[in-house]
Amino acid sequence: MYKTKVIAGVDIGTSKVTALLGEVVEGRKLNVIGLGQSSSRGMLKGEIVDFHQASDCVHATLLTAENQAGVKIDGVYLSQTGGHIEGFASEASVNVTSDDGRVRQEDIEQASALAQGRELPENRTTIHHLRRPYRLDGRMIESPVGLEGDRLDISYWTIHGDSRKISDAIHIINGFNLHVDDIVLAGLATSAAVADRDQKAHGALIIDIGRGTTDYALFLEGRCMKAGCLPIGGDHISNDLSIGLRMRLKQAESLKLRYGSAVVEHKDRTEKVWLNNDFEIGDRPIPIWSIEKIIEMRVSEIFEVVRKKLGVLYMPEKIASGVILAGGTSELRNIVKCAENVFGIPAHLGDNSSMASGELKESQYSAALGLLHFGLQYQNEQSYAKHRQSGIFNRLKTLFKV
Amino acid sequence: MEAQEFDEEESRSAIRIKVVGVGGAGSNIVDRLALSGSEGVELVAVNTDQQALAGSPVIHKLCIGKSITGGLGTGGDAEAGCEAAMQDLEAIDEVVAGVDLLFLTAGLGGGTGTGAAPVIAERAMRQGAVVFAFVALPFSIERSARANTAQEGLRQLRDTCNAVVPLPNDLLIQESDADASLLDAFSKADAWIEKAIKSIWLMLNKTGLINLDFAQLRQTFSKKAGKTLFGIGRGEGENAAAAAVADLKLCPLLHTPEFSKLADQLLVNIIGGPGIGIADTRMIMETMAEEFGAESDLVMGAVIDETLGDSVEICVLGTSEVSSIAVSRVVKKRPLVAKPKPEESGDVSEATGVPKARPVTHQRPKKVEQHEFAFSDDEPKGEFENSIAVMFEGQDLDSPTYLRRGVKIVL
Repeated sequence: MYKTKVIAGVDIGTSKVTALLGEVVEGRKLNVIGLGQSSSRGMLKGEIVDFHQASDCVHATLLTAENQAGVKIDGVYLSQTGGHIEGFASEASVNVTSDDGRVRQEDIEQASALAQGRELPENRTTIHHLRRPYRLDGRMIESPVGLEGDRLDISYWTIHGDSRKISDAIHIINGFNLHVDDIVLAGLATSAAVADRDQKAHGALIIDIGRGTTDYALFLEGRCMKAGCLPIGGDHISNDLSIGLRMRLKQAESLKLRYGSAVVEHKDRTEKVWLNNDFEIGDRPIPIWSIEKIIEMRVSEIFEVVRKKLGVLYMPEKIASGVILAGGTSELRNIVKCAENVFGIPAHLGDNSSMASGELKESQYSAALGLLHFGLQYQNEQSYAKHRQSGIFNRLKTLFKV
Repeated sequence: MEAQEFDEEESRSAIRIKVVGVGGAGSNIVDRLALSGSEGVELVAVNTDQQALAGSPVIHKLCIGKSITGGLGTGGDAEAGCEAAMQDLEAIDEVVAGVDLLFLTAGLGGGTGTGAAPVIAERAMRQGAVVFAFVALPFSIERSARANTAQEGLRQLRDTCNAVVPLPNDLLIQESDADASLLDAFSKADAWIEKAIKSIWLMLNKTGLINLDFAQLRQTFSKKAGKTLFGIGRGEGENAAAAAVADLKLCPLLHTPEFSKLADQLLVNIIGGPGIGIADTRMIMETMAEEFGAESDLVMGAVIDETLGDSVEICVLGTSEVSSIAVSRVVKKRPLVAKPKPEESGDVSEATGVPKARPVTHQRPKKVEQHEFAFSDDEPKGEFENSIAVMFEGQDLDSPTYLRRGVKIVL
C-alpha cells in the first residue's frame, strides 16, 4: 500500500533559491535525499522581476537537488510570497439543527461552504483557506462534532494573491518540465518548520525576515489565525543605510554585516568606524550610532507594521511561546531584543530542530522543509480523505546524509 | 575677461531676474531674501491672504483672487488657488513681463502655492522667461490629502517650468540639528532655496574664470522640466575645492542611486574666493562630469566672489526628461567648456568663446532604463525607486524609516 514517493519543495526567495527532495517512507515519514541551493537573481521584494534570470537559477537549483538524490521528480510544492499577497477573514455561522442538539459533520460542512463561498475579484487566486478554531456558542473548540450546542461559528483566514504573479512562478517550474503540486504561503511553510505543535498550541508569532520580504503567521490555540507578507526586508536596511550615509549599496551591505545592530548600542555619536577599512581613497569614517539608528528604525518599524497588521488578534497574553524569528535578517545582531521591545513578549531565534537534524536545522532551510511538510500532509489527505491527524508533524523526521 | 562679444542676443546687464514667492511658504522665502539683501534681484510676494502679505517686508506685493477669497486665503484648497490666479491674470502678466529668469518658490500641499504657482509659471514661460521652481513638499507625517495635493501640484509645475526642484521637508530636516524646532527646519528649507538662487544669480552677474551667459542657460534648460536634480556643496580652508566636492556628494538632495544621478542637461557652477585656482576648477569639473554622466549636455561656470575668502561653493542643477514624455527634441552639441587646459589659464574666457555648434534636430534614441534620471518625487527610495510602492497607513515603506520619522542622522 505504501509505495515510495519523492516529493519536492522549492522556495524561491529574494536572496536564495532552495530545493529539497524528500522520500516518503511508510507514508508518514520523510527522508531528505536531495538538496540544492543557489543565490537568487531576478528577484526583488519577493517577486520575480526578471523571468529568465530567476528561471535559470531555479533550474540550476533543481538540477543540483535531482542529481544529488539520483531521482527524477515530476512535481514540486512551491512557496509563494510578495507584496501581492493579501488576506481577509471569512466567517459563517449555522444553527445546530439536529434533534439531540449535537453538532454533526454536516453542520460543519455547511458552515465551511458558506464561509468559503466569497468570490474574489478578477485576477486573484486563493492560496489558502486557513481554518481558525471552531466556536461553539462562543467557546473555542478544537473539534465540535458530537458536542451539544446551539450555534456553530466557523472562520477562515483566506489568503489570496495576484494570479499573474503566482503564474509567473509556476511558469518557471513548468519550464523545467515539472508541474506544481500545490502552492504554500512562504510564512506558513516556515512556521511549519520553526515552531512545533506545542508552541503553536500555546500561541506563537512566527516572523521570517528575509532579504526582500517579511512573512508572518500568528498561531493561537494551535491554528493559524492570520498570515501575511510585507514586502520589506533586509534589502531595505541596506538601502536605508546607503541613502542615509551616502554610499553605494554594496558598501552599505557590508557595513550592515560588519557593524549592524537592531538596537542602538553605541550612544556616543562621535565614535566612528571606517567605511571600507582599506585605507584607500574614498574610505571615510562613519559614526556607528548612525548605522545602528538607521537599522533600529527600520527593523522596529517592520515589527510595528506586523503588529498593526495583526490588529485585535495580537493578544500578548495568549502568545505564550512568544515571537519566533527566522530568515536571513534574523541573523542581525540584537534583533531578538528589538522584537521584544516592540512586541513586549519574549522572542527567540527559531531553527528546524523539531523537524530536522544536522545542517538542515539552519534557518535558511526552514521554508523548503516546511514545504515538504505540507507536501506530505497534502498527499496523505489525498490518500486518506478522512485522515487529518495533525500528529504527523511530530513524527516527521528528516534525515540528511551527504 | 569679457564674454559679451560672443553673445548672440543678450546683453548681460539687461538680464532681469525675479523671484516670486507664491503662497505662505513661498512668501516666507522671499521675505528672507529681502531681509538678507539680494541686489540685482527683484522680489515679489504673491498670496491670496492679504494679512500675510501686509506683514511682508517685500516691496512688490500682489494679492490675487480677492473676489473669490475676499483676501482671506484659500483655506488649503488648490482649486481656489488656481481660480484666484486666473482671476488676476493681467496682474500676473504684469509681474512677469520682461523677466528673463524667474525663480518661483512655493510650498506645495496648500492652496495658493499649489494652485497658483503653475499658472504664474505658465504665464511667465509664455512671455519667454526661463522659469525655475523651488518647491517644498510636505512632511510625510502630513501625508494623505496634503501629499496628494502636493503631488498634483508638482506634476502641473513640471509641465509649466524649465526646471522644478522639489525639496522634501523630510530631507531638509536632515540638515538641521537633532533637537531643532520645526521653525528651524523650515528656515533651513528657505536657506537652501536662497543658496540656489544666489548661486545662479552670481553665475550670471559676476565675472567668471569660466563665463556662463544667459543664452547658454536658456539653451540648457530650453525644454520643459522632467525631473530635476539639484545640489549644493561648500568647502573651506586649504583644500576648499576637494572639501566642497566631498560636501556636495553628501548633499541629501543628490543622494539617489548611482544610475539615477545621470542628467540629460547639467549646469555646474563654481563660486570661489580669490584663492581658487584653475587646477581646482578643473578637478571639480572633471569630478562632476564623472559623477553625473559625461554624456549629458554639460554647462559649466566658475566665478570669483571676493567675499567668500578661502571657501568654495559648488551648485549643480540638472534636468532630465521623464521617459514617458516626447521623443523628438533639439539637442545641442557643444565642445566641453569643462576642461580648460592649464596653459590656457592666461585667458580662460576663451573657453566660452568656442563657436557653438548649431542645434540639430534629430530623433532621440530610445534611452536605456539605466540612464533614466529617476530623482524621486518626494523621498529617495534608492534601489526600490521603480518597484511597486509598499503603502501602509499613508506612508511609502520603501523610503527609509529614519527619513519619514524625521530622525537626523549624523554623518
